[in-house]
Amino acid sequence: MKTSFKSALVATTAFVGLTLSGAAMAETMKIGITQNNVGVDSYQTTYEKAFIAAADANDKVETVVLDAGGDVARQIAQMEDLIQQEVDAIIIWPTNGEAVIPAVRKAHKAGIPVIVTNSNIAEQGFEFVKSFSGPDNITQGRRSAEIMCDKFKAMGTENEAKVVHITGQPGYTTAIERAKGFDDRLPEVCPNVTQIDKQPGDWNREKSQKVMEAFLVKYDDIDGVYSGDDNMGVGALNAAKAAGREGIIFVGATNFAVGYEAMGRGEYWGSIYQSPVDDAEAALKTAIDVLSGKDIPFLNYFDTPKITQDNMAEFDKPVF
Amino acid sequence: MDRFSKFDLGGFLARQGILVAFALFLVGFTIANERFLAPDNVMGVIRSSAILGVMALGVTFVVISGNLDLSVGSMMSFSTIVVLDLHDKIGPTLAIPSMYAMVLCLGAFIGFLVGYLKLNSLIVTLGMLSAIHGLTLTYSGGKNMDIADKEGTWFSFFGQSDVLGIPVPILMFALLASLLGIILAKTPFGRKVYAVGGNGTAATFSGIRRARVVFTCYILSALCVATAGLLQASRSLGSQNTVGQGLELEVLAAVILGGASLLGGSGTIFKTVIGVLILGFIQNGLLLVGLQFYVQYVVTWIIIILAVWLDIAAKRGKLWSPIA
Repeated sequence: MKTSFKSALVATTAFVGLTLSGAAMAETMKIGITQNNVGVDSYQTTYEKAFIAAADANDKVETVVLDAGGDVARQIAQMEDLIQQEVDAIIIWPTNGEAVIPAVRKAHKAGIPVIVTNSNIAEQGFEFVKSFSGPDNITQGRRSAEIMCDKFKAMGTENEAKVVHITGQPGYTTAIERAKGFDDRLPEVCPNVTQIDKQPGDWNREKSQKVMEAFLVKYDDIDGVYSGDDNMGVGALNAAKAAGREGIIFVGATNFAVGYEAMGRGEYWGSIYQSPVDDAEAALKTAIDVLSGKDIPFLNYFDTPKITQDNMAEFDKPVF
Repeated sequence: MDRFSKFDLGGFLARQGILVAFALFLVGFTIANERFLAPDNVMGVIRSSAILGVMALGVTFVVISGNLDLSVGSMMSFSTIVVLDLHDKIGPTLAIPSMYAMVLCLGAFIGFLVGYLKLNSLIVTLGMLSAIHGLTLTYSGGKNMDIADKEGTWFSFFGQSDVLGIPVPILMFALLASLLGIILAKTPFGRKVYAVGGNGTAATFSGIRRARVVFTCYILSALCVATAGLLQASRSLGSQNTVGQGLELEVLAAVILGGASLLGGSGTIFKTVIGVLILGFIQNGLLLVGLQFYVQYVVTWIIIILAVWLDIAAKRGKLWSPIA
């Protein structure tokens, strides 16, 4: 339903674009976006809404909003459609960091600047990309390590604490980068804290709960749990609560509403605040800046601050 | 002399092939980690296997009747999203029956297509796998569902409480397994399921209404899925659209591990339960041993092949045979 509505929208936009081309529309920037998989999670759903809202609020911008439904082939076809429509800039949320490179190159050759949003494409495609706009996942992982270490220091356990780590989907860039940031930073700030185990939770709350149950059986002494996002973190928290194990410090990333609530109850210590609204607005702004000829850095990160029980009042509860 | 010893082994395996495999895994994992058989861990594994297990019970009926059901994973996600959403809107007392009604409608629809229209079950349920996923996403708008008041609802009873010291999911699994086991083994309907799966044409000529039997199997499967969804939703009091993704294959693996034939006509509820437990203990055992996850995928596959091999060897009466 949604897709066919969108294709209809694309067709109409294309038609309108054709009839009006050369007329008074010269001042408008026409920006196309092909997203990864709207509807698969609340983050992406909120992102799309925020993007459309931000574009509507700006009369200089006209957008063509597409969604690849997680399908690489469809995304490549959408890139070609956007090139055919001669949009002024293309924003892409890659379904796959490698497979989309030829399509990105094609847009680049056609003289259309490409902006990558949320998750970057592979390095060999960088030369065809004007700018990347999104969160810095390595920094997020590092900040999570700092949040955890600071808490251990406050508790006086920084010399003996043992930590387990639940990662996202294996092979997924966000999962790899966050895990790397955390793994690298933790020994720098808390050299005597040991990471005793690491297993994937596949971004899935139930899977993460199972992994944590096994950790709790295997280790009598767990002081901290780092999860690649709050959805998994809450799964791990559920497992610890069911097993009656208290005093474990839970730190996550991408603060979800459930994580925020658990922080409010004092069960979950901290996370990284990443707003899909900021993400979407940053992508649109980057595209506009590129088209206005502004000088922008290649890696255009939007800030994702630390959030803990101490400062959570400064943040709105996440919508997802 | 040689023949005698072969016959002995073969005869033993022929009776208990899958149980022998199960016992071997338990011994192996216990040697690797002494905590494996700790009561807490065993209870935990059975509890988390119960959700998969409840789904496998229904799929056992479908497989014995000679069909497949690949839609159970999406259907389970659908049921969790629906019941959690309705929980906050109309209260748990009404939400649970409404969810069951919706899931049973889906099951009836599949049963109608496969049973009465005689469409290929692989195609129908593979299609329903993504169609129901789409339905779930449309319903939820892509959002995770969470119950607003997690402390004050009795809805957590199904997934989180104990009755007489046994977790409710395990009780529900045991209860459903006994009930469906009796239906399959002891009632005329159960015999019809075997007949339809063994030789559908012969069954039809014997006066069995094949379409009705197939239809009923899908209804039973949907009933099990709805129950699994209820347990899952109640366990975490929240759900995401993809919670059941991939479960259809795990369920099928458990049913096949239990020795049901994909061609239909054979299998039992008891063996499916063993299949479910094997899968559950493998997953847990590998985590406890602490292998890297990419090794785990491979090892899981090897163990499944080993179990299936032992089971086939049991049927043949020897471990190796030059003919099938």
